[in-house]
Amino acid sequence: MVTRRAFIGGVSVLVVSTMIGQQSAYTQETVTPVSGGSLVWGVETEPSTLNPHLNGQAKAKLILRNVYESLLARTADGGYVPWLATDYKISDEGTTYTFTLRDDVTFSDGEKLDAAAVALNFTKLKEPTYSGSISAGHVSHVVEALAPDPRTLILKLDSVYSPFLDGAASLEIISPKGFDSKQLKSGGPEIAGTGPFILDRYVKGQEIHLVKNPAYNWAPENAGHQGPAYLDEVTYRFLPESAVRTGALASGQVDVIEGISGNDAAVFKDDPEFSYQSAINTGTPYTLYLNVTRGPTVEVKVRKAVLASIDVAKVIDSVYRGERTRAWGVLTPADTDFYDKSIEGSYGYDPKLANDLLDDAGWTKRDADGFRTKDGARLSIEIVQAQATLRDQRDVLLQALQAQARQNAGIDLALNYVDAGTYVDRQKNGEYGAVPNSTTTQENAVTIYFHYLPRSLGGSINYSRTEAPEVLAWLKEAASTLDHAQRSRIYNRLQRFAILEQAYGLPLYVPEDQIAAAVNVRGVKFRPFKHLPENAYDIWVER
Amino acid sequence: MDVENVTALHQAPIASLQGRFSSIRTTLLSQILGRIGSGIIVLWAAITLSFISLHVAPGDIVSLLIGEQIRTPAIEAAIRAEWGLDEPLIKQYLSYLWRVLHGDFGRSYVLQTDVATLVLSQIWPTLKLTGAALVVAVVFAVVSAVATAGLRWPRRIAGGMELVLVSTPSFWLGIVLLFVFSFTLKLFPVAGDRNFAALVLPALSLGLSLGAVIGQVLREGLERALEEPFALTVRSWGANALTLRLRHGLRHAALPAVTLTGWLIGNLLSGAVITEQVFGRPGLGKITVDAVLGKDLPVVLAVAILSAFIYVVLSTLVDTLYLLLDPRLRART
Repeated sequence: MVTRRAFIGGVSVLVVSTMIGQQSAYTQETVTPVSGGSLVWGVETEPSTLNPHLNGQAKAKLILRNVYESLLARTADGGYVPWLATDYKISDEGTTYTFTLRDDVTFSDGEKLDAAAVALNFTKLKEPTYSGSISAGHVSHVVEALAPDPRTLILKLDSVYSPFLDGAASLEIISPKGFDSKQLKSGGPEIAGTGPFILDRYVKGQEIHLVKNPAYNWAPENAGHQGPAYLDEVTYRFLPESAVRTGALASGQVDVIEGISGNDAAVFKDDPEFSYQSAINTGTPYTLYLNVTRGPTVEVKVRKAVLASIDVAKVIDSVYRGERTRAWGVLTPADTDFYDKSIEGSYGYDPKLANDLLDDAGWTKRDADGFRTKDGARLSIEIVQAQATLRDQRDVLLQALQAQARQNAGIDLALNYVDAGTYVDRQKNGEYGAVPNSTTTQENAVTIYFHYLPRSLGGSINYSRTEAPEVLAWLKEAASTLDHAQRSRIYNRLQRFAILEQAYGLPLYVPEDQIAAAVNVRGVKFRPFKHLPENAYDIWVER
Repeated sequence: MDVENVTALHQAPIASLQGRFSSIRTTLLSQILGRIGSGIIVLWAAITLSFISLHVAPGDIVSLLIGEQIRTPAIEAAIRAEWGLDEPLIKQYLSYLWRVLHGDFGRSYVLQTDVATLVLSQIWPTLKLTGAALVVAVVFAVVSAVATAGLRWPRRIAGGMELVLVSTPSFWLGIVLLFVFSFTLKLFPVAGDRNFAALVLPALSLGLSLGAVIGQVLREGLERALEEPFALTVRSWGANALTLRLRHGLRHAALPAVTLTGWLIGNLLSGAVITEQVFGRPGLGKITVDAVLGKDLPVVLAVAILSAFIYVVLSTLVDTLYLLLDPRLRART
């Protein structure tokens, strides 16, 4: 009746170790960790809310994961290991999920973690008045969340939904008392979690201060140690300027920083007083998506010509001085669930092809500036980029693309940096030629789903605005089977269709995270599967 | 000389001083009453203009709140209902005014916190920063003007320095100050609003360019004053150059500089955004920018009210300072 799934990923495994480039100036095995002490970590991003349910910022996770925990943890090879849940089962028809919970876990406000508390998290999230858009995510598939006994949680789904396990297993559980707090939506010390640290103080615009939870004894199986955290307290200080973070670490005012610019990386890489590590992000690469519903990019020949007119490898190499990886597919190579390597090298820079395609499409004349024209109109594609998400030298990158497209094929890529309000309007009405973007969390192909689902059905990040019926059919088919191999085949097909056949977008480079730390700070690392900076649980300071 | 005469001699100036203060006091009182009236109008105008301009700006509030997350009619409806955005605009406007009258500034759409608490928690660090920057600016301006006015080479050097400071972006100045005094010499900490030491560099990076502007105006005023006939009179009393400049010249030169300072304090508040960002300080600056970009109306309106209030207080202060500086203005009222 019920299949018990082993806690080993039935997931195709790619080489993960090569994706996390570790450069450490010390050997970690020779010393035993010591408890005590404090740590100051300079971070780039201040969380918009401290409620882990409502916070969608990938960069806020490293802070919130100290305080809030989930049912299962993920291993580097994509498998699941026990955390707050000791075991889980999925019924044969794939719609009933049963989690067995630990019985020794308490929230930091004294409440006991039991099935009713976890069920309450799921049912509350279904309410749009509480969770807004998140109510339409994973939890929208939950018909019932039951707690037949304190250790058993049963989630009944309306239909088979393959990304559900990843979503449910990674949901951060908050104390039931939190739902009655005034701080519920903004988050804060009244919203208790079960984590190794307790939220002590939040000074907006300055820092978040956490203290050790001395009772903590339920770390995930794949953590570096068990029992309470090593550090007594951790302060995350908000330093939005990259140069200031670098200076603060170099001068010993903070112990760890994240977000190091390509130019500053060498400062820490080459200095034995510091350790430096980086990891490429999961999710989607920074991609130039071409609008299929408006302007010259309606025509597939023009889209293919854009892809062929730009020498991506050369551009990325010169803009980032060899510090970034060129991207090829709809996912980054770090997205080990479904990345299909066969896309690499299967298309690329071909100026002759680009020009032939444009000639074919009737863009045969040239204007005074050397741009191609048809019926008197210039071959112009407006790139709309939100000012707020412009980072990591992407303005320089876009300029380089612009120069290449013009030089190699007479295409005018017009850059337009806009404010948040204008961006939202342009997105809503499809008023753009192209939009560059990337997403940075691994969500078991949820990100593919929303990138290619028609806008009218909720495809909120469908930047190419495709409504191709075959794509929709594939998305539905992949979401409704639990057969991983089958899903892989479908997403591989979709990738070839989206990039090779339809040229919906041009993948540019793989965004990455960096961490640098003083050499006496040990145990700083990235999360095994999601590739985001890990929390402070395993960190200790050598004295 | 007997004792009574001595007291009489001493009382005379005291009495005249008291008279001077009481005349200032009555002028002040009527001034303040007038100010409260016009202040209320300014506040109302600030609320109304912010309300209108935010609604005219591109992007509707619900879309901005949802961003690029999943959007369904149920979610949109929930958000509209939560913030009262389903009401007609005029009703939203009137009910906002009504709530403000009762001291309720609402909740931030984006940060989900009580706006009054939010703004109050951030106003103190910003006031400390702008206050310290103002002190830096005034001290710099007075020292530079008094020390160099009328002296050919010193004034050229000071003028050149001021020009450099005025044209240096405060972002860059902040980074340079940090690099030298925090990262290299390790004299001051980089981040946060913690102690006095943490205030020094942000105050310098924000205050110096302002001081340079005021310094230029002050020096010119001082030089003009020193050429006036009274300067010769004072010199003939045997006063030394410094006394002349500090006690007499500065007073004449101060009027335009005070006007300019009052006006520039507004710039301090907006310049604080960048300084707060560079130094990782809490404060109103970043909150305001984020609120405007995200159309977080309750926060924008609260900040607008607050800045209008500060402007009213400041212009009252500046006018009062005129009275203290220039006896002719007192006589006229």
